[in-house]
Amino acid sequence: MSDSKIVDARDTFCPGPLMELITHMKRSNVGDTLELLSTDEGSGADVPEWVNKVGHEIISNEKIDGVWHIKIRKAK
Amino acid sequence: MRILVVGGGTGGTIVANNLARRLSAEIRARKVRLTMLSASDKHMYQPGLLYVAFGQMTPDQLYRDQASLLEGSIDFHVDPVEQFHLDQNKVITKSGKTYEYDILVMATGSRIVPEEIPGMAEGAETFYTEASAVKMFKRLREIQEGTVAVVVGVPHKCPIAPVELVFGLHDYFKARGIRDKIKIKYHYPIGRIHTIKEVAIWAEPEFKRMGIEYETLFNVSEVDVENKVVRSEEGTETPYEMLIAIPPHRGMEVIEQNNLGEGGWIPTDRFKLTMNGHDNVYVVGDTTNLPVSKTGSAAHFEAEVVSENIASIIKIGTPVRDYDGKVYCFIETGHDSATYAMFNYQNPPDLKPPSKPMHWFKMAYNQMYWTSVRGLL
Amino acid sequence: MTTQTETPLDAMPNEDLQRLVEFAQLVTAGRDAMSDEIVTRLAGAMSEGLTLLDRLTRNEGLMHLLKVLDRQDTQHLLIALSEAIHAASQEIPAAPPATGGLGCMLRVARDPGTQEGLRLLSVFGKHLSHSMREQHRRGG
Repeated sequence: MSDSKIVDARDTFCPGPLMELITHMKRSNVGDTLELLSTDEGSGADVPEWVNKVGHEIISNEKIDGVWHIKIRKAK
Repeated sequence: MRILVVGGGTGGTIVANNLARRLSAEIRARKVRLTMLSASDKHMYQPGLLYVAFGQMTPDQLYRDQASLLEGSIDFHVDPVEQFHLDQNKVITKSGKTYEYDILVMATGSRIVPEEIPGMAEGAETFYTEASAVKMFKRLREIQEGTVAVVVGVPHKCPIAPVELVFGLHDYFKARGIRDKIKIKYHYPIGRIHTIKEVAIWAEPEFKRMGIEYETLFNVSEVDVENKVVRSEEGTETPYEMLIAIPPHRGMEVIEQNNLGEGGWIPTDRFKLTMNGHDNVYVVGDTTNLPVSKTGSAAHFEAEVVSENIASIIKIGTPVRDYDGKVYCFIETGHDSATYAMFNYQNPPDLKPPSKPMHWFKMAYNQMYWTSVRGLL
Repeated sequence: MTTQTETPLDAMPNEDLQRLVEFAQLVTAGRDAMSDEIVTRLAGAMSEGLTLLDRLTRNEGLMHLLKVLDRQDTQHLLIALSEAIHAASQEIPAAPPATGGLGCMLRVARDPGTQEGLRLLSVFGKHLSHSMREQHRRGG
């Protein structure tokens, strides 16, 4: 399995962690894993909402020391 | 000491002018040489494009001669770079010339790539170039009724543009007296109407008040030009009479061709603004890969930090400050009102209620921009 | 006994209040009169003015000229110059046109006024030339 690509969007408000994730997802290939780092409170809910609506996969979603670590696999 | 600035937009121009002022003695004594390379002899005030799209500015008002904005001590050439040889500290331009440098500043900006979405280039209006903004205005003048759909590609420069656009559309059709015959439908890729939470919270009741419909979690997948329908990855679709798109963006082609960054976005240190792996290369503006808004204001603040640091390195051997992520953006809220969003890496935006004086500040800034790129403000 | 604390507004004499109201009305009238075009033109003029001022203040020659112009003896020269301009603009149109030829030339050369004028020009030219040579020598 390939390594996760880290998308470090900590301490950013605009365009914000989810938009950064979308930007990186577009450039990735199907099957790639991305790990989003975010200090935004809402990421734990916003990101899975988007991932599920568009049709990709959440591998894991945890908050460590105030930072969300969300692993996503590009499914299509 | 040879300093080379590649790119004559907001970031590049401010870096060059600030350095020319800070290092004027060194330049006169021929200890420092300051060169700028740009693809164009003109400098465009990009925020003016939205005004052009609504017929509030004519295209000529967007431009000034780049040379007229630069300090006399800057060696300026309209000769775009085609090859970057960072390991040898040199670049080769379109005319075949080689420029060697000790310090390089990358300020090449970004471009729209509507072709990434099938049908978008053919079927959607946009205001991100002069020609398309004029074309969009003419269509806005002609349309009599139907749905005007607004879609947003990712990533794009000027994150506030979608909101300013719909407020502008509302005002424009009201002024034309046909607002009741036009349905405005706004589509946004994430689960709220704008990526900045404070803007989304403030704008939602405004949208309702203005009768602007919206659909969130709409990621554009294709534009069916023949049937005039725009479709999303999520499986929904909106028929339209007129489609306005804020297209997805990439960094300049030359950055991709030279393998300097995926998608044309150069990997940059978020505080030092140096290119990863190259301490003598600075990056400002849209072309960084930083999760910072691609705006003129970010380019401006980054340029201030970079020019101060390059000057201090030359004078005392070390940089003096870090970029704190500062961005300051006007938000035109329609009907001669405006507010602004200011934030940095540590502090979220804190929107003030829109006011008329703030709108005048924006109007004044449209003129003050030229003074600020000269390094005076 | 007062049932509520007197506010500063209540304590103000009527004329002051009236003036405040008028001032507020003036501000509102100003705001209503302000238009995008006015703001744009004002800001444009101020921006261009700032740019020009910046250029002028960084012009070494111009700043030096200003310093010299401030001096008392320079003031005398400037006043004399303006009076001379005034006198000449009266005298020249009134004087008969030159007749031409060597004879007229000799007559003009013999005139003390002409000799004063030539001397002034020569002194001025001498110093100008000297200063330019000095600066070139110093590497300007």
